[in-house]
Amino acid sequence: MRIRRLAPVLALALFALLPIFVREGFYLDLLLFTFMYAAMSVGWDIMGGYAGYVSLGHVGFFGLGSYVAGLLVVHYGIPVFLSAPFVGLLAAVVGAGLGWISLRARGTSFVIVTLTFTYVVQLLALNLRGITGGSSGLYLPLLDLPGDLVILPFYYSMLALLVVAILVSIAIRRSKFGLGLIAIREEEGKADGSGVNTSLYKILAFAISVSFAGAAGALHAQYLNYVDPDLAFELIITLNLIIMSLVGSRGTVWGPVLGAFILMPLSQYLIYLTPSQIAGQVHLIALGVILVLVVMFMPDGIITTYGTWRRRRGTARPTDAESAQLPEAAA
Amino acid sequence: MSGELLAQSIVLGFLTGGVYALTASGLTLIFGVMRVVNVAHAAMIVMSAYLSWWLYRTLGLDPLLSIFVVVPVFFVLGALVHRVILRRLAGRDLTLTVLVTFGFAIILEGLQGTLFSSNFQAINTPYSLNAFEVLGIFVPLVRLLSGAVALVLLGGLYLVLGRTDLGRAIRATTQDPRSAALVGVNVERVTMLAFALGVSMAAAGGPLLGMLFAFYPSTHWLWIGKLLAIVVLGGLGSLRGAFVAAVVLGLAEQVMNVAASPDWAPLVFYGFLFGVLIVRPRGLFGTLGRESL
Repeated sequence: MRIRRLAPVLALALFALLPIFVREGFYLDLLLFTFMYAAMSVGWDIMGGYAGYVSLGHVGFFGLGSYVAGLLVVHYGIPVFLSAPFVGLLAAVVGAGLGWISLRARGTSFVIVTLTFTYVVQLLALNLRGITGGSSGLYLPLLDLPGDLVILPFYYSMLALLVVAILVSIAIRRSKFGLGLIAIREEEGKADGSGVNTSLYKILAFAISVSFAGAAGALHAQYLNYVDPDLAFELIITLNLIIMSLVGSRGTVWGPVLGAFILMPLSQYLIYLTPSQIAGQVHLIALGVILVLVVMFMPDGIITTYGTWRRRRGTARPTDAESAQLPEAAA
Repeated sequence: MSGELLAQSIVLGFLTGGVYALTASGLTLIFGVMRVVNVAHAAMIVMSAYLSWWLYRTLGLDPLLSIFVVVPVFFVLGALVHRVILRRLAGRDLTLTVLVTFGFAIILEGLQGTLFSSNFQAINTPYSLNAFEVLGIFVPLVRLLSGAVALVLLGGLYLVLGRTDLGRAIRATTQDPRSAALVGVNVERVTMLAFALGVSMAAAGGPLLGMLFAFYPSTHWLWIGKLLAIVVLGGLGSLRGAFVAAVVLGLAEQVMNVAASPDWAPLVFYGFLFGVLIVRPRGLFGTLGRESL
């Protein structure tokens, strides 16, 4: 038990100190992206795992965040490290609006709305040329830092984003709100009947869920010093979040984090292995195949599957809060 | 906008709307029996367009005739995919099926990029640039042909659903799978055939849309947006609704093309989509309750 509690703190300390020892940009870059995806995937799971509503549109909020933060730097000189939390908040407000449209009912309209929202924002980014620069994109001013240090503020802010995401997820998990969301996933009609304000809960969960994508998009725009309508709305981002959450285990705090730490290095390795002309396409096919296989053969993900397996062998500790509350996480 | 231009927009919009109706009918048919949006529907259309383009380039097969090739191929593939993958997910959390179709869309997009490169492609036949003029209205030949073919195929689908035992079984399953099973419908088999039929409609739309518009592997995200707007406006699961909505939106898009600019035309679809969901989630002809939306 003690080790379980201590492990996240130790891991955090390790990642915080790591840049002192590891100076290779490659590894810091890989970790930074892993933090970013893990944070967004934890966010995705608040809606997709706890409440059981899968969003196919998180990249829309990522792109929205990229553009808003980019425009704030270019036009008003507000640095992204300052604006990112507010961009996250803005994403939450937009998410709540979208939720109001699609979440009063149960099911399909949420899939449809989240899927198309991305293209609405992308269309605006493309066509409002006077503001966004259209298809030629938006160049952000470079940070005034020496070349080998410039990665550090991004490394630490992505790490901070991940920590916040995990803390929020834990807080929701332990609250009445979190129980309500899980009740919605298990049996929405009964949750409604037993006094859960299901519409409000779902809208709130979705708002929180997308705020991390918005903030991540803001930081990412400055990291690349560039935003354009293709880069900011790459569907592979949503796909990654979903796979990470599924592989690790939907509906658990640590599942998406585990998934991100498995999938990101694997993806990088795959891209490194394949010839560059077709690397993007092969990556796409591989992720699609992984998604189909995971849904078919291991929809419960690693953490839940392992928990069930341990319990079957009779070695599980029933006091283990994490697994006891949620026996069938991805049912 | 002059009167002639408006008349022309209406004619062109109606013809394009017919092709939209054909492809949307497959989407709404699949939703009816499975209660799931086939996210890969437009990716299947684009795949069929590529296949038709390839058949034309290598064998010189006319794109309109290639419909006789792509439809059976996709029917068999659809039945196989249902049997091997989707059937196993029946009766479980519907979101799993949605995620699988999302995976299909991604895989198809990646395959198209690998096999055919990511460049723009269009099916250009010798008659692609032909057009004729009636009463001052200028109609490109391919628009007329694709619109006519789409209407014929839709008529065929209408007869299959209205006059055959399979059609009755599909309609019964759409209304209530459990009651359908009680009166002796083999729901699993009917669902498989309906899915294959829906996929075939997407396949039939491939050559037609491929003659009208340029396409590339990620075009399907634009097209699925259009199709979703159509089926939502028409009412999910309603074929008649899909037809009316497709013509309405085809017209609106054409008018927007001329009146504003083609850049903003997709906004017509998204505007209708979000508007309908706010005002009347079950669409024009929807019979489904809020439960399944």
